[in-house]
Amino acid sequence: MKLPLIGMKRFLRVSSGLIILGLLVEIVSLLWFHPLSFVLFAFISASLIGLGILVYLASLVFAAVPPVENRG
Amino acid sequence: MLRHRRLGFPEEACGGFVTGILIGQIIISIVLACIFLIRPSVTKGADWKILAFIGLCVLPVLCIVGGMNVHMQRSEQTQFCISCHAMEPYGRSLYVYDPAYVPAQHFQNHRVPADMACYACHTDYTIFGPLKDKLQGITRIYMQYVSTPPNPIRIKGGYNNNQCLHCHLGARSFESNAVHMAIMDSLTSNQMSCITSGCHDTVHNVAQLGHVKFWRPAQ
Repeated sequence: MKLPLIGMKRFLRVSSGLIILGLLVEIVSLLWFHPLSFVLFAFISASLIGLGILVYLASLVFAAVPPVENRG
Repeated sequence: MLRHRRLGFPEEACGGFVTGILIGQIIISIVLACIFLIRPSVTKGADWKILAFIGLCVLPVLCIVGGMNVHMQRSEQTQFCISCHAMEPYGRSLYVYDPAYVPAQHFQNHRVPADMACYACHTDYTIFGPLKDKLQGITRIYMQYVSTPPNPIRIKGGYNNNQCLHCHLGARSFESNAVHMAIMDSLTSNQMSCITSGCHDTVHNVAQLGHVKFWRPAQ
């Protein structure tokens, strides 16, 4: 199964967006010296980054099989 | 935090450097992710595919691991523990002048690392100890912000003697005390508590903080 290019682009955009958002939240959690900063990191930042990675890996799996016409 | 600085709790030492490196790594990850957000079509090329794997998988995983490491180390600091409102009096009790106050005596004489005073006496020194402490800490955060923290704060299951014996067992000053040696089995088996059996029973005693004298460090 191969997703169309536009689908792949969307996957990458969603993945990048989630990772960027998660990383920005992580920076805030690192600069904020407060017990809640760990909650922010563990429950929001790590979840967003993890989800972004999963979306990226999913895009790799779905795009892994090359189209039949290109085999040769 | 200013209040704690005035009280003289040590600042984060090398933690700031590690945090700085991690933030640098996060910024690199963000820049890479931005490239794939703005122009996802660049991943058609093999080199860019590798870069995408690094930018969208390897580096973010490293950022999570690094962030967890920094947060775990940070949570061991005295300053971190007492940044919770409910814990503030316990932090103040470390500066009580009276040497009968066990935590104050340990903190002021550097019998425990001053920047990790809470952690040194309250972790259980097992392989998953820091993780268990973190989970308990999340429970306390829940109590602080959602329900009501107990007053005074009680340790679930009581204070374990092993936390004292981790350092004191085998120490000359501890073993030269005849009373300690006579009741050693009861202490190691937790049948007799170090702090509630009438021997070292003045611990944080936060209810009396309004009536005691405080020690102020010179520096």
